[in-house]
Amino acid sequence: MSVAKVPVIVCVIDDDHIFTYGLKKLLEIKGFYTKTIDFGNGKDAIDYLTNPDYVNNLPDIILCDINMPVMDGWEFIQNFEEIKSQTGKKIALYVISSSADAVDIERAKNNPHITDYLLKPLDENYLTEIFKLLQHTKQAQSA
Amino acid sequence: MSFSEDNKFPGLSITHIAHIFNNMNAGIWEYNTVTGNAKWSAGFYHMLGYHPDEIACSYKSFFENLLYYHDKEVFLKAINRPGQTNVPPAHIRLLTRENGYQWFESTSYLYTVDNEPVIYGILKNINRYKLAEFRLDQKYFECSEMGRIAKIGSWEIDAATTKLKLTREIYNIYELQTPVELSVDEVISFFEPKYRPLITQAINDAVKYCKPFDQEVLLRTARNNVIWVRTKGVPVINDYGHCIAVRGVFQDIDVIKKRGLSMQSSINLLDDQNKRLQNFAYIVSHNLRSHAGNLKFMVNLFEETNEEDDQAEIFAHIKTISESFMATMGHLEEIVKIQSEISKGRKTVNFEAIFNNVLSALKADIKTTGATIHNDFSNCPQIDYIPAYLESIFQNFITNALKYKHAERPPVINCHTQKIDEHIYLLFEDNGIGIDLEKYGDQLFGLYKTFHQNQDAKGIGLFMTRNQVEALGGSIHVDSTVNVGTKFTIRLV
Repeated sequence: MSVAKVPVIVCVIDDDHIFTYGLKKLLEIKGFYTKTIDFGNGKDAIDYLTNPDYVNNLPDIILCDINMPVMDGWEFIQNFEEIKSQTGKKIALYVISSSADAVDIERAKNNPHITDYLLKPLDENYLTEIFKLLQHTKQAQSA
Repeated sequence: MSFSEDNKFPGLSITHIAHIFNNMNAGIWEYNTVTGNAKWSAGFYHMLGYHPDEIACSYKSFFENLLYYHDKEVFLKAINRPGQTNVPPAHIRLLTRENGYQWFESTSYLYTVDNEPVIYGILKNINRYKLAEFRLDQKYFECSEMGRIAKIGSWEIDAATTKLKLTREIYNIYELQTPVELSVDEVISFFEPKYRPLITQAINDAVKYCKPFDQEVLLRTARNNVIWVRTKGVPVINDYGHCIAVRGVFQDIDVIKKRGLSMQSSINLLDDQNKRLQNFAYIVSHNLRSHAGNLKFMVNLFEETNEEDDQAEIFAHIKTISESFMATMGHLEEIVKIQSEISKGRKTVNFEAIFNNVLSALKADIKTTGATIHNDFSNCPQIDYIPAYLESIFQNFITNALKYKHAERPPVINCHTQKIDEHIYLLFEDNGIGIDLEKYGDQLFGLYKTFHQNQDAKGIGLFMTRNQVEALGGSIHVDSTVNVGTKFTIRLV
């Protein structure tokens, strides 16, 4: 264990509270040092990301669901693309959804801003890989 | 033409005249009604192809052997009133020596010789013209039959005078008893108002720019039937390329057109249903997967954690998932039920009665929200509908209005019916938060689509309502202004 350990800031945007709970618990069980901020829809997440008060608390990774009320995943991603450069931070964006529809998967694959499309239920091994890499990068940056 | 002066033949002897007659392609006969004597000219024999020795020159011989039996009546009629003015020549068939029966024109006159009445007549061979006439009649008959059967007529407009010629069949299509003369404007005035400028323009363009046209328009006939017709026009041009006339056809295409239109509307309906089914499959797959995924996720976590507190919390979530699973299955069943309810058939239902039932079921919600609900079904108090649907429609719209009330004022709901032509409309107006239709309009009636952060929002009500309304052939229209309210116009039938 490094002395100055820095948490990976995770942003979960999903109206499914059970999923959000499960994700937090999983990361905890797997022993990752993370800090999670969660939102029930895209609009709340955009409000947070554009609020100057939170400029030092921007996430390293965003996990975003598609079907949500008020502002859905696609709309969030569109808004996020516009503000991405202003945040001044490299943020990995993953889509997490229960939609196995080829149209949704294709749409995500064709968007360069989206790192990957994760179908629910999440593959725990793949998720562990992603977080291991993130934590490593984060640690290297702060060292 | 005259080679005589004062109707006389000066300088011509009788012999000479007889010679002229004999060489004409005509036969002359004479019959003395008292003596019964008959005389036939050489031309008479020549025309029929007989030698004078071969055939007895007598009235009897003519009447019995030469004249076709069918034409006896016509011939007798003509000779019994000879000399009268305006007696048309009779057309009769006579047996020729070589060519069987041929057509002749018979003209007869009466005069008196030595106080005895004599009838004389002139026969002309008109076989060629008669056959041509028959062929023409046949063609005309075929042509008009074709028009009658195909319900197609032809017309022509003279470009200079704008005079219009119409065939009989066009009057039939117009259901006009007599073929009165009609002007172009009069003919156009039978079209339904929205098509009149279209046809006027088409005819003008044909005359001015030699532009052909082909239009399908609605016609209101003289007997007030509205039918689809097709009118097609092509310009007729002169050597200088100017339009001198517009010629065209006019056809009753009502049956075909209506079949086409109903087919198109069936296709649209099927298309809509297909889209809805696809959307439904997407939602079902998404939601079932979502519950199943969460269940797997929780079960895994349950196994991985050793903390008792965590396990208790995870188990609580598993219970929630199990309930959500059941709820989703319930929604699916309700949606499937929409189709099966149709088979139960429509009944005459009273709007007011069903509305009151729904109000009493929602009494608690109405009281909590402080809502005022007005209704007026006097314009159309009842309808043939599936009672369960109407109840569900009322319930969904009222619940909707209560759920999405404006935070700053108690809800006011207006509900009334309207009968326009054969359609019955149900109107719902509220003063709630409204919805941004530009943003969500196409999703408003989607399953599990929710637009507000409302704990009660499930996104099933409007989906169900639209399916019920459309299953019975109706439609829903929405008008809404954010922060002002929403108005739903439901065409029930």
